[in-house]
Amino acid sequence: MSKNKLFNFKAYVRLEMISVNNVTKTYGKIIALKNVNFKFDNSQVIAIMGENGAGKTTLLKLCTGILPFDSGEITVDGYNIINDSIKAREQIGYLPEMPYMYERLTGREFLFYIASLRKINDAEEKINEITKMIGIHDFLDYEIGSYSKGMKQKISVTSAIMHNPKNLLLDEPVYGLDPLTSRAIQDFIRNKKGSTIIATHSSQLVEQIADIVYVIMRGRVIHSSGVSNLTSKYGSIEDAYFHIKDETNV
Amino acid sequence: MFETTKIILTENSRSLFSKIKDSPILYLIFTGTILFSVFVFAYAFFFFVKIGINLDITIEDVFFTVFFLFLLKSAADVYNNFVKSSALSYPLSTQVNQKKTVAEIFIGILLIELIIWFSFSLLFLLSLLVFKINIYYPFEYTYFTLGVISAVCLGSALSLFFFSPKRYRLIPVLIFLGFCFQSRQPIFVIFTLPLAIIHVSWSIKNSMDSHLFSKRKERIKDKSNIKIRNTIKAFFHRETTVLYRDKLLFSFIFTSISTGLFSGYLFVNGEEILIPETIRNQIGGFLPSMFMFLGIYVVVMYTGVFPALNLFLNEEKTMWILRHIPIRNENIIFGKASSLSLCFLTAVPFISYITIFTGLDKIVFLIFFLIFSYIAGIIISLPLGVKYVGKKSDIMLLYSVSMILFVFLGVVSVVVNIIESTFTYPIVLYILILLLEIIVLFVSIKISSQILSLKYNSIR
Repeated sequence: MSKNKLFNFKAYVRLEMISVNNVTKTYGKIIALKNVNFKFDNSQVIAIMGENGAGKTTLLKLCTGILPFDSGEITVDGYNIINDSIKAREQIGYLPEMPYMYERLTGREFLFYIASLRKINDAEEKINEITKMIGIHDFLDYEIGSYSKGMKQKISVTSAIMHNPKNLLLDEPVYGLDPLTSRAIQDFIRNKKGSTIIATHSSQLVEQIADIVYVIMRGRVIHSSGVSNLTSKYGSIEDAYFHIKDETNV
Repeated sequence: MFETTKIILTENSRSLFSKIKDSPILYLIFTGTILFSVFVFAYAFFFFVKIGINLDITIEDVFFTVFFLFLLKSAADVYNNFVKSSALSYPLSTQVNQKKTVAEIFIGILLIELIIWFSFSLLFLLSLLVFKINIYYPFEYTYFTLGVISAVCLGSALSLFFFSPKRYRLIPVLIFLGFCFQSRQPIFVIFTLPLAIIHVSWSIKNSMDSHLFSKRKERIKDKSNIKIRNTIKAFFHRETTVLYRDKLLFSFIFTSISTGLFSGYLFVNGEEILIPETIRNQIGGFLPSMFMFLGIYVVVMYTGVFPALNLFLNEEKTMWILRHIPIRNENIIFGKASSLSLCFLTAVPFISYITIFTGLDKIVFLIFFLIFSYIAGIIISLPLGVKYVGKKSDIMLLYSVSMILFVFLGVVSVVVNIIESTFTYPIVLYILILLLEIIVLFVSIKISSQILSLKYNSIR
């Protein structure tokens, strides 16, 4: 085994792709997440549900290294998101809730910019393939500032998946998208290797693609179980969500 | 009644208080620099009154400077509070007449500008009072105030027409503004205030073209230039593309040339124009160097410090892009800062044009001082820009940095003058100083990357 592989040994023996241990995050006096623990395994699609302001988006931002946290530890593929942030972020594709981008660049320029920073060699091929799949290819040479919300979302989705990341963190991935694109993205997630974490309010999306659901309320994980278990027990994810919410006194 | 005005005022005041709470040190420095500037202006005024110097800077010059500043400020405020404000979709979608809503926004902006005008002017008058100078000029104060109102009307109309598909509507406003500046008479601006109000009313009537205005611009020609680059080049390309498309590079070149010509002209003729003959011999010798210094300072501020600060100040909502990509912070800072090399090239015409007046005797000094000031500007701006990511419109930060740089370069220019007069070959010393400064620049990049890292990061 080469020296490099020895160095990456922990990446081969670990079980969890993303691990969140006892993480607490506050915004001033407001506690966004308190002692949160997650272990996201390989080849799973995990859905995070919860009411507005529950901490879903914050959790994804912490896992991608966008936000600092107060205490705890987050590792991605065994790499600490703070101390080994470069290695950790190499394994991540991230779609933010609000896809703000550089408005004066065209869609194509933005994607090539991200591809350059991520050092993707076959970027042109990848970009063409994905943008055709999600129906934004014909608009790539317009400035992003002139795009609709859905078009921006499509560019953002492309930037999140074009380097074929092991871990995909998607915040409301199909919000603002037309049904055809929405289905294409769902198919992509289903067939993708590695773990995918989705923060969403859409119980329909969860039923269609997720394996496990985590429910967060006011910064705490109040429930986690398999989607099939929940649907067989409660009939649908929506009903399950309301039952869980009613049963829990947070 | 006036619900939208109230919202605009509330939002602006809350935003100010929230910024003060977020960055108390910055605002402390800003308050200090403001008080210092007002006091220095008042003292200069006192000094000239006391020793009886009648400078050729007239009250008309001051009036049009104030007029111009409020013209720009109100245009920017209309852009921020109406043209690009998506939150306005809510009041505009109610049963209230849309023109009434826009008029209320205009009133809100007018009130904000008047609050700023009264605060600063009263502070200045109080400073004058400290020096026991007569401040009882009610007529002048009234026409300055009316001038501010006129500037806000015309600035708002300019902004509304500029950001619309029918830009030809700008023509009457521009002609009117041309007359105002051409007349050099505040009284002309005051008597034509009703005309300014008609202009702004007309722009409000046609304002809906401007709301969330964006041109759907296709850039097929630029397609051939899109390729995979290394990290530094990718940052360089992105930053310079935006500077180019926002036409800032042209604006930098224009400023360098015009400042070069203007400071060169003052270098030769400034004493004659500004200093009365009676005291020319006493303080005249100091002036040419001061005009060169001011010229370089203006060029460095506009072509170096502002773009250096904006490298990160502009990244408010797009910070997620830099944060989630696997790149070392040093590379981010270095890549972004590399774009300033192009900005520096836009400052070079300053040297060419000022030397038309100064001759080649001063060229070594000019080149050295321009490079030194430029690098010094970047050294100060980079860490502050990183520290205050997202405070794009924070004029206070820009003002504080400009004051810090002004004082620093003022001291350095004195030292450089001593070097010039003491050493036979100052160029050797200049090179050594620049090498030392480059080392400090790398330290500044290192500090900036530390500030950018999550470990030392506050909530973003």
